[in-house]
Amino acid sequence: MSIIRPRLTDYHNIPLTQEEVDFAIPFIDEDIPLYVDPFLLWKSPSMQDNSLHLLITNSFNHLGYLFTSGKEKEALELLIRASECNEVGLGNSKSKTGKKIGEKLATNVLSPFTLIPELKKSGFTHFEEIQLLIDNFSKDRVSDIACNFIQSFLIDFTIEQSEKYGIPIEKVTLQNVYNPKSFKFSEEVTHLPVNPENKSPILFVPKRWLKFVPWINTDDYFTNYYIKNIHNPNEEFPERVKLLDFNRQNYDIVKAYTAIKEKTIENCKNDPLFNQVPITSAKRKISTITKLPTGKTDNADRKYEDNVCPLMASLLYPHLDFAKEQSRTDSGVQIRDMIFYNNKTSDFLKEIYETYDCKQIVMELKNVKEVKQEHILQLNRYLKEQFGRFGVIITRNPPPAKVTKNIIDLWSAHRKCILVLDDSDLKMMTSVFESKQRNPIEVLKKKYIEFTRACPS
Amino acid sequence: MTKEDVNKFEKVQSQIEGLLLEVTNLAKKSPNDAVNKFKLKFINEILIEANTILGKAYKPLSSFEKFDEDDLPSNSDVSFILSQYLSCFEKLRADNIYRKKEYDGNKYFYEWYWLIDKAESSVKTAPPKKIK
Repeated sequence: MSIIRPRLTDYHNIPLTQEEVDFAIPFIDEDIPLYVDPFLLWKSPSMQDNSLHLLITNSFNHLGYLFTSGKEKEALELLIRASECNEVGLGNSKSKTGKKIGEKLATNVLSPFTLIPELKKSGFTHFEEIQLLIDNFSKDRVSDIACNFIQSFLIDFTIEQSEKYGIPIEKVTLQNVYNPKSFKFSEEVTHLPVNPENKSPILFVPKRWLKFVPWINTDDYFTNYYIKNIHNPNEEFPERVKLLDFNRQNYDIVKAYTAIKEKTIENCKNDPLFNQVPITSAKRKISTITKLPTGKTDNADRKYEDNVCPLMASLLYPHLDFAKEQSRTDSGVQIRDMIFYNNKTSDFLKEIYETYDCKQIVMELKNVKEVKQEHILQLNRYLKEQFGRFGVIITRNPPPAKVTKNIIDLWSAHRKCILVLDDSDLKMMTSVFESKQRNPIEVLKKKYIEFTRACPS
Repeated sequence: MTKEDVNKFEKVQSQIEGLLLEVTNLAKKSPNDAVNKFKLKFINEILIEANTILGKAYKPLSSFEKFDEDDLPSNSDVSFILSQYLSCFEKLRADNIYRKKEYDGNKYFYEWYWLIDKAESSVKTAPPKKIK
């Protein structure tokens, strides 16, 4: 697989942008850096989401019931099984496999059911409160437990989405499908998309449930609630373990915090997988770029890259999904500056996909006064495999005539297309990004048309 | 020019004047911003009509017919072209009008009229502007 940071859809050559689908497109060899926040299911206007939230909470509270009624072993076993959900591939793992929690932590997680009378009596409404009561229990566990309890729904959702977009599915056996009627995990044979590398099943998760940090989380509780309302300014800040202990002793404070969070649900929104920089920030970036000296004085080349990368990724979104910056070749010797997935979202992108076999677009940044032949040759070396025969150089000034001639000659000899964007093009892209009169990607198309006009007929 | 030509001329000239005013305002604010497809479509419609009125002899630029939306013309590009067209319209008008001396009972003055079918007509027009 030669695609950089491949996604499942790229592997199957299905041109989809993240923007147009309802689920987070999984990467093949790494996790999606987001988490399912059960609070988003609770606040959702959809009754389906609300009932799934209820299912999660009830299932978790059932563990508490088992734990407090003498069936500790059974409760711990269920919690340990629920603590990792590799099929959804959320989190920060590079390897796509996580570890389940141990028996000690599982006992700790369920201990509030015995320690806090209110929980023993009526259970949690938002089980993510556990983060505020127990150490070593973080957002990834909340997300995985939630996903495991509603895995049956996720299977149906994945099959439906796979059929909608033509993503191939295969027969797989899932080990951890929760049955809310018998309160047990069991095996299930079904059909799901699989990871082409290791054949492990993949579950899709709706984008609307995903957040970087859960709405109820320890940092927010500490900075926005504890310090302002509970903490005595004359005392030292308690350390984490002491704070969690304090919370266990004073569960009503945690409840009050949750109630505030429930009341401010308008601010609780899912996080998009890609955030465009705001217009003001884009304008600031372009003004920094145009003021930078060329060359490497005062790390200008580094600053140039730091500004151009986020700017271009935002300008070209949602037409091009950004894949990676500073990607190394397999040998590790060469670094490609920016790589985008080509999802054929416009006639121009379709044309370069078909004419130049360009499945991913490579962009090379050159903070130099004048683009030279060697820069063209450097980019030319990358133009193979998934990049096809199309590449872009982003630099400061228009290329000199002899370099333009070389680029045309490269097309004449090898049918390779190299476009050169300079400061004025970036300015125009930012300008249309601000005014919304045209799409910034049309500037790239304009350069392509100018290039084709210059090619010998 | 026929009477119909004159009518058409006056309509298109005033349309171009209107467009130029709009685009110039935009160009003052952000000269390098691209003109959107909606506006370009109508600007092109008017330019095509203008080309038929001006004919080969008066057309401002022989290699320019209309804007290509893929070229992403900027506000300043459009205002540049439109002002060229307006100048040529004025040149065409100046070549097709005449003036007549008239008396209002108190003083003599000049009135300007169109030449229609190469003959003097009674269709009034403004005096020629100084051609830029």
